Amino acid sequence: MVLPYHLIKVCGNTVFAAQGSDIHSFNSGLEYVSTWKYPVQQTDESNGPSIDAQESPAQEEPPTKRRKVEPGQEEGPKGRRAKYKNGQSKGNKPAKHDVPGNERPFVQGLYATTDGRHLVAVTGSDKTIWVFEHDGVGNLNQLSQRAMPKRPCSLTLTHDNLTILSADKFGDVYALPLLPSPIPTTTTTSATPGAATPSALSPPTSGPDESRSASATPSTATPSAIKPQATALTVHTKRNLRALEHQKISLGRRALQEQPNRPQFELTLLLGHVSMLTAITVGTTTTATASTEAGGTRVREYIVTADRDEHIRVSRGMPQAHVIERFCLGHEDFVSRLCMAPGGRAEVLISGGGDDDLFVWDWVRGELLGRAGVLEHVKGVVGGEAASKVAVTRVFACGWEGGVEVFVVVERVPALFRYELLEDNTLHHRETIPTPGNPLDVEGIEVPGAAPRLLVAVYPSGSTDGSSNSSFIVLDKGESGWRQTSVENLPAGGDIAISETELQKMLYSTETLRKLSDFD
Amino acid sequence: MGGKKIKKDKRQKREDYRAAMRKDDISELPRKKFYRQRAHANPFSDHQLIYPPHPDQMDWSSLYPHYVVDEPQDQPTPPAPETPSSEQHDLAPLRPKRISKEVEVADIGCGFGGLLIALAPTMPEALILGLEIRVSVTHFVEDRIKALRAQNHEAGLYRNVGVLRANTMKFLPNFFRKAQLAKVFICFPDPHFKARKHKQRIVSATLNSEYAYVVRPGGIVYTITDVPDLHEWMVQHFDAHPSFERVSEEEQEADPCVAIMRTETEEGKKVERHKGQKHVALFRRLEDPAW
Repeated sequence: MVLPYHLIKVCGNTVFAAQGSDIHSFNSGLEYVSTWKYPVQQTDESNGPSIDAQESPAQEEPPTKRRKVEPGQEEGPKGRRAKYKNGQSKGNKPAKHDVPGNERPFVQGLYATTDGRHLVAVTGSDKTIWVFEHDGVGNLNQLSQRAMPKRPCSLTLTHDNLTILSADKFGDVYALPLLPSPIPTTTTTSATPGAATPSALSPPTSGPDESRSASATPSTATPSAIKPQATALTVHTKRNLRALEHQKISLGRRALQEQPNRPQFELTLLLGHVSMLTAITVGTTTTATASTEAGGTRVREYIVTADRDEHIRVSRGMPQAHVIERFCLGHEDFVSRLCMAPGGRAEVLISGGGDDDLFVWDWVRGELLGRAGVLEHVKGVVGGEAASKVAVTRVFACGWEGGVEVFVVVERVPALFRYELLEDNTLHHRETIPTPGNPLDVEGIEVPGAAPRLLVAVYPSGSTDGSSNSSFIVLDKGESGWRQTSVENLPAGGDIAISETELQKMLYSTETLRKLSDFD
Repeated sequence: MGGKKIKKDKRQKREDYRAAMRKDDISELPRKKFYRQRAHANPFSDHQLIYPPHPDQMDWSSLYPHYVVDEPQDQPTPPAPETPSSEQHDLAPLRPKRISKEVEVADIGCGFGGLLIALAPTMPEALILGLEIRVSVTHFVEDRIKALRAQNHEAGLYRNVGVLRANTMKFLPNFFRKAQLAKVFICFPDPHFKARKHKQRIVSATLNSEYAYVVRPGGIVYTITDVPDLHEWMVQHFDAHPSFERVSEEEQEADPCVAIMRTETEEGKKVERHKGQKHVALFRRLEDPAW
């Protein structure tokens, strides 16, 4: 079936949109420019996986269109099993994600530097961060491809556009340079993937990589040092002692097989939650200083992270990311989106997730400023009985006539919700804009003096009432409401063998963050 | 067949015993055998935990009933009872009953509560809280505290200890505000021997940032273990963390809490019986660097 567009990113004058594992670009007039396709290894499936697949990731050839995507490869169970298998390294089976070639993971995130010169993409099951150079008119040149130790859930860039911050499924935040410097592979990396070794968390006072890897634990640093950490002094029962004996024997054997697959690039662990991270963003504060340099102001950067266990954490920016300044606490279900208010309201943060409301925070003081209902407006779209909970998937804010407009997408609800953030930082629902299908992403182009032009990726509902079945629509505010046009002449492609159910599972994954309440 | 039946009888006995212990007038100390639970809990799974969304909403009054402040009823009740309803969301949820002090000492993974009980009389001015992830072990400590309070009613002892079931690896900041704690004890933590499980260790570079958040500058984190490699691991990670420095050996040995930690924890006693080693390390929370 043909995949819908599911991610949109405005980058300078260009609009990028992801469809499955491809990224298309459009100019400001929304005419198609070009496509980046996820490089697929030409493997002969009967020969099994080829080993040296990492060698030529950047082929320009379009891959074969029809690719069987394994059911569930993007989502939980499978990925989890792969990880498990990898860690246990039972037998000689290669780890799941080491087998390259015959799968094309979906693009899970698109991010752009503020100058529009670089685009960063994340792909799912291969946990890879891709950096592209953008020529300004929609053509991408792939610069790097880095496979992270754990699957990145959300990325952001520091304000100087030099560093990518990646928040992953295991709760860790890593910093990696946007443009990797060529470093010899021997001195690499501070982090081993297995334990996401927190020892890599670098003291800001310490030097570069050497000191960090030196602080790695003996057991992870040198495979030869692997030995059971229990001793006859620490285990006492007969059974445990016997287990210890067995462990000693098998460890020796296993140590030889276990190849630490540490990433071969610069990677710094900044901070971590013991929870799946769902969103990361950076905020800045500007304070006046006594000195006159830099106009008498000092800008400080903070890292704001949100997790599945209702926390929003504010940490200092690099190089003091180990200092937690405060938490913004109040959510009672998962947090899935963070959105800094634009337009001189740098201290205002809007968050949404599995709660019935959006939360508005002064993140600089850690105070809840207000809440704005979402569920009540969702009920207006899908009917009161059908909706008992919401999962916010997008919060997009932009300036408009001096105010701040906030557009919200809720999973599986065919509408956009427009809110206005008033001067007093209260958030108010203004209107519900119906869409021809469930929105998957929303971005806006600010048009001077006019309402923002909204770009919406929708999963077409497939209705036959004459409305468009395009997956990429534009909304312009007219005098009598929003005028909807669909972007035509979309490039062909994105046609893969995948069932509707599997696709939905991939596109609608936010609700799965909610905790089940029936086990202990 | 028979095994199943025995098991059921055992469970029944256990439930009966514990139900009896819940009754108000019992001052008999609980017996451990009715509260045993397997030694490990997965800190990553979503247990059915109760925790406040924010430390301000934590109700401490049931844990420390003797410290509850009697607030006069005529305090700031909103003047207009007919406040605009439903649409306007209540920003300040019901404030729980206040207590006159704040918890300042936390025992993370308090187990059967030996340390808590030993510490309580030595620092009568401080509120001490044990945190434990295993449900029935928490119940044991609850019953133990209740019994001790009843037994020492005259002297007013053990009113300053409490216990909570909690997953501190996830929810420490839900209970404590920044810099609230003066002392944190981490005694005989689960060693998680396998490298794959190191992320589950209670001490790690990323978690140390959370301890730094709840501990005030000058406050102390106490660690003790019988596993040399774990000791090394904890020292390494606290040493590497810019918010902590190791406390010198002299100062460590002069601290009365260290002796108690060595001898009064259940694990400490067990290690003693087996003639194992005990490794102690203390770390002081430093001031945050200029920013």
